[in-house]
Amino acid sequence: MNGRRATHSTAAPGPVPAAPAAKAREPMNVLIVGVGGQGVIMVSKALAWLAQSKGFEVKQSEVHGMAKRGGTVFSHVRFGPQVWSPTIAMGEADILIALEWAEGMRWLPYLRPESGVFLCDTKRIVPPFACLNRHPGAPMRYSRETPAEIREHVGEGYAIAATEIAEALGNERAANVVLLGALSTALDFPIADWEAAVAQFVPKKTLTVNLEAFRSGRDWIEQARLMTPVAEAPVEAQQPLTNAPGKVRLEITEEWCKSCDICVKLCPERCLRLNADRIVELADAETCTGCRLCEWLCPDFAIRVHFDEVALEGSRS
Amino acid sequence: MIVDSAPAFDVREYLRKEMMPHFLCPGCGHGIALRALLWALHELKVDKDKLAVVSGIGCAGRLSAYIDASTFHVTHGRPLAYATGLALARPDLRVVVISGDGDCLAIGGNHLIHACRRNLKITCLMLNNEVYGMTGGQVSPTTSEMRVTTTTPLGNSEPHFDACALAAAAGAGFVGREGTRHVPKLAELMLAGLEHPGFSFIEVLSDCTEIFGRKNEMGSSSEMILRQKSELRPEAYRDTVDTPFRANELPTGVLAKNARPEYGAAYRKAAAAIKAAAAKKGRK
Ligand code: SF4
Ligand code: SF4
Ligand code: SF4
Repeated sequence: MNGRRATHSTAAPGPVPAAPAAKAREPMNVLIVGVGGQGVIMVSKALAWLAQSKGFEVKQSEVHGMAKRGGTVFSHVRFGPQVWSPTIAMGEADILIALEWAEGMRWLPYLRPESGVFLCDTKRIVPPFACLNRHPGAPMRYSRETPAEIREHVGEGYAIAATEIAEALGNERAANVVLLGALSTALDFPIADWEAAVAQFVPKKTLTVNLEAFRSGRDWIEQARLMTPVAEAPVEAQQPLTNAPGKVRLEITEEWCKSCDICVKLCPERCLRLNADRIVELADAETCTGCRLCEWLCPDFAIRVHFDEVALEGSRS
Repeated sequence: MIVDSAPAFDVREYLRKEMMPHFLCPGCGHGIALRALLWALHELKVDKDKLAVVSGIGCAGRLSAYIDASTFHVTHGRPLAYATGLALARPDLRVVVISGDGDCLAIGGNHLIHACRRNLKITCLMLNNEVYGMTGGQVSPTTSEMRVTTTTPLGNSEPHFDACALAAAAGAGFVGREGTRHVPKLAELMLAGLEHPGFSFIEVLSDCTEIFGRKNEMGSSSEMILRQKSELRPEAYRDTVDTPFRANELPTGVLAKNARPEYGAAYRKAAAAIKAAAAKKGRK
């Protein structure tokens, strides 16, 4: 299974600290973060339910509702003999579970320095506003930290390709349960109770795959603990997030253009115009990103977008 | 995803260039629908010599003339009838029907329901622009309530037809709807329809700017395309409340699908069995 590749492990060097035992009086603080639709709330509900069934006092608070917009979603779960505040203060989370890489980076300051356990999916969901420059090949404003770089900031950290693991099991949506499995290694509840918590919160139809996902996450961490950490970042995090670059060129068949203005008005960059003869022309070649919207929406097939390889340019002209 | 083939797909390779520019009015959505169809056919790597496009009368009906394949421009409302004969006689051909809302639902409504019932492998596109554009803008079976046409100058008071619901009820193997706004999605829907083994019915919401748009003061072609955005609700969002979509939108996407036996194969099997039985009898 590809998710078990050693390169994904960034376990801290040296002897691995034992799973933090539920501290005598202080509550255990678990912060679960991700983006809408990933199942952050399900993970926190399962954990809260489990802790409650063990006789702990539990407080959970969440921000959600961004589900359809890919917005940030987070949930605080605190449990212990007595819990007052429902939220976790900065620097006080014992465990941070991130279902999305950049969200993990965003919430890192909440983790307890030195002792906090960081469990992060390497899955990257790039929000639209990270693509301010839409030219192909342009850099995106998305978190650039690699797992190796964040290792210094956490007591114990794992970058786990949970989504890939879940995909390999046949259901991408089970990624959150893979992380729940990973979480289970950091808390001392019996495995059977964890599985009961999974069964409680996943749809009946998907129980089998979710239980497999749970075990895969758990096994992955246990294996990672045995391995020495590796320096390089996961392959996914190193790959540029962009299309192949190239120089955009618009081929316009002037005789076919009927001046309908669709391309001019709907080009996201507004870089087309109608010339004096009311035929389309590219007014601003620099801003055209080659998105092809004009090619697709022209009812008269008058525009064709080409990407010329930059290297070949000199020889052609 | 179909967008992956966008760099390689040059629509002009599938057009009869000597016929271009086409006769459609500036900004007519039918041109966009034609691109989506050709894109889906490109994706399927359809051999042009094995492609037969049959179309009826009307603005949509004229589209077949621009496709570089075997094309038939037939009588009003009857493209499905011709296509049925063709698909039965030549199962080696891929048969596509292009029809308009008037052609498909009014003049040819009877053919449509029986084509759906038979479930013969034909892909039927109904380009719905809510009006008879070519003949000057008369009301059609899909004209929305209160829309102005030449024959309903004070606004249409007839309820309009939901063609997809009709096709699904009549048993079509695959039913889908999409607007021309989102071209890759439209092409993907057509691809799914073309791949379906039985009868597939795809309603394309297309804008007639010159006649319907003008009479109803719906603005330029680009404004009409943007209107689709606020009026279409993807099927996946059908039951959601908190959505950016408004209340009365038409659902889009794959709306119905079934695995009823394909009529052509069933017919050939039955015919072969009868022939074999007859031969056996003759030998005795
Ligand atoms: S490809 Fe067309 S629509 Fe896209 S930015 Fe360039 S001109 Fe505008
Ligand atoms: S969309 Fe096509 S026909 Fe309309 S103005 Fe642009 S190039 Fe011309
Ligand atoms: S009349 Fe309407 S449907 Fe016909 S070509 Fe013109 S815009 Fe298109």
